[in-house]
Amino acid sequence: MEKGLTVRKIVIAGVLGAIAILLGVTRLGYIPVPTAAGNATIMHIPAVIGGIMEGWGVGMIIGLIFGVSSFLNATVPLFKDPLVAILPRLFIGVTAYFTYVGLKRTNEYLAIGLAGFVGALTNTILVLGMAVIRGYMAFGVALTTAVFNGLPEAIVSVIVTLAVVTAWKKLGSGKQKSKVSGGL
Amino acid sequence: MAQPIVSVTDLSHVYMEGTPLAHQALYNVSLQVAEGECVAIIGHTGSGKSTLIQHFNGLMRPQTGKVVVNGYDVSDPKVDVKSLRRQVGLVFQNPEDQIFEKLIGDDIAYGPFKMGLPLEEVRERVEWAMELVGLSFEEMKDRPTYALSGGQKRKVALAGVLALKPKVLVLDEPTAGLDPRSRQELLERILHLNKKEGLTVIFVSHNMDEVARLAERVFVMANGRIACEGTPREIFGNREILREHHIGTPESVDILYKLHDQGYKVDLSAYLPEETAAEILKLLRG
Amino acid sequence: MSAEFELSRNITIGQYLPTGSVIHRLDPRFKLASFAILILAIAICGTYVGNLFALAVCIAMFSVSRIPLHYGLSGIKPAIPFIIILALLQLLFYGEIAEGGTVYFEWGFIKISSESIRLVLVSAMRFVEVIFLSSVLTLSTSTTELTHGMERLLGPLEKIRFPVHAFSLIITIAIRFVPTFAMEMEKMMKAQASRGAEFGTGEWWRIVRRTKDMLPIIIPLFNVALSRAEDLILAMETRCYTPGSARTRYTHYKAKGRDYLALAISIALAAAVLAIPW
Repeated sequence: MEKGLTVRKIVIAGVLGAIAILLGVTRLGYIPVPTAAGNATIMHIPAVIGGIMEGWGVGMIIGLIFGVSSFLNATVPLFKDPLVAILPRLFIGVTAYFTYVGLKRTNEYLAIGLAGFVGALTNTILVLGMAVIRGYMAFGVALTTAVFNGLPEAIVSVIVTLAVVTAWKKLGSGKQKSKVSGGL
Repeated sequence: MAQPIVSVTDLSHVYMEGTPLAHQALYNVSLQVAEGECVAIIGHTGSGKSTLIQHFNGLMRPQTGKVVVNGYDVSDPKVDVKSLRRQVGLVFQNPEDQIFEKLIGDDIAYGPFKMGLPLEEVRERVEWAMELVGLSFEEMKDRPTYALSGGQKRKVALAGVLALKPKVLVLDEPTAGLDPRSRQELLERILHLNKKEGLTVIFVSHNMDEVARLAERVFVMANGRIACEGTPREIFGNREILREHHIGTPESVDILYKLHDQGYKVDLSAYLPEETAAEILKLLRG
Repeated sequence: MSAEFELSRNITIGQYLPTGSVIHRLDPRFKLASFAILILAIAICGTYVGNLFALAVCIAMFSVSRIPLHYGLSGIKPAIPFIIILALLQLLFYGEIAEGGTVYFEWGFIKISSESIRLVLVSAMRFVEVIFLSSVLTLSTSTTELTHGMERLLGPLEKIRFPVHAFSLIITIAIRFVPTFAMEMEKMMKAQASRGAEFGTGEWWRIVRRTKDMLPIIIPLFNVALSRAEDLILAMETRCYTPGSARTRYTHYKAKGRDYLALAISIALAAAVLAIPW
């Protein structure tokens, strides 16, 4: 699948890229859940969604935009290193895409949810990995962060990815009855 | 008037105060709305209408001046904003954008569930709200939200606010973007809400036919101030006011003015379509 | 009180400070290349004096571009606590891994050596340098220039079928929509709050609950984005935009002597930074 070859891919990449930037510079990108960093972020999710909806090329580009935005807006020295801020982010949309495509035939919801999970983990593992390689973090610290920050973030990612992609694809949520029908 | 349900006194608001981009949106605005009234706020873009109505449910707090809505003093930092927002239902323009649940029933039930109400009561309110906007509870409650027309989506959004059972309904351009049939229907429903259910209605509009149809009183805003107020008859029948504030007219009034200018004797204080029709008939009969 | 709903105040993309300096007037292609070279040198350089020199260069950039230094400092200010914490952590925990140098202090796994101190100080300096440089770059170049410059620089990649034009179009679209979406989201937050939504409350351990509480904002955000996207796609196709087709350009950049000079200077500075052995 070649990137940017259709108008649709270009525009969707641009629009999701805008969201990636927006989530990074405003509070919208942070879900206040308890993690080592104090917040789970959802800034990687546009890349995941781009990967699922339009392929690995679009996912990679959105990841790049996310990475550069992260690099430019960083206050933490960790993210002022392009190898930590930008390079790992390229793969978020890619792994999400392959996860989705691989499971699509089994169950659409499973595919989408797992893609969200994998995308988030890709972000966590590759970023922390680069941080260790570049010497910003000891391995032990990285591991604890991956577990205590990365896992909640992955869960958040599943919820949001499922909610958005099912809305975009006009899939039902799997429920046939609304809550008000319960018990009737 | 007897204790008004909405009382605004000397309200001022400056955006981005203290910065080079500061802009004063409201200059000592005062108005009162009695319970059960249906009033319209009209005026050009930038006249301060949105800023004003956002004070009614606590989205904005008065910088100077006082706003009291149904007993809630909006300037009080300790005021129960959540409770205020249930009393005053503010419906923004294009409210269908705020639908986020997959199923209609779920979206309308969102507010009541957030209030912590039990399932039984939530269901009652959702059913009540849906019937009020003209959506069949049984048929529509389990249907997906994405398969709706624009007019239907707007009804769902409105129902979502009505389910909170507000005493005051504030609407920003309620029929903007709707086709004529949906527009008519929505106006009927709003009228019903005001006359039969007793909701106080305050609406902002650029559509003068709508204003003529619904409003008992009209506030004209310009440059952050209330330029004048009156009944639709007073406002639309007064050419000076219309000219000075560049107010458009309902079609019915437009026709009468054109006839008057051509030398025909017509009663210019008529403004409802039926009244205009009556005037024209009088002329035709000689 | 409406500050709880304000988002757009933080949008500083394209924060451009026109001062008319020579740096502002550089051809964006050369400017980007020059800055990239300098940043690369900084990323590699691990010596004390090299970094001090680089720091001096960065500070000098502010005066050359006539941008007040406090713009750069305000970029550093929020980061200072992080720098300190990071430095402490590195100092304490990185000692084991840093090889060589004389060991000054050892206790259990904590090893403070000349190498680990160097790492800490160099990291801090590097960070400051990169912030200064990227500040000067973004403050002296408008977003249009930046995207054009990037597009022209990447031009040669067209030869290996990398879609440069499409890529810069994507960037342009993204930048264009950020303020739009910010405004829409401000409005959405108000609208949802008006119908009973609450964000950021509830027990801290209820991850799922708190995430779902944000959905009334997140889902409409993506829906608005999709809707705008569909409109834009239609508009572009109606105007017969075909990706990959040959295109001519509206703006043309002509390199002047000062552009070549700027590039040469940046290469020289980069080489100097890397050559200094201490």
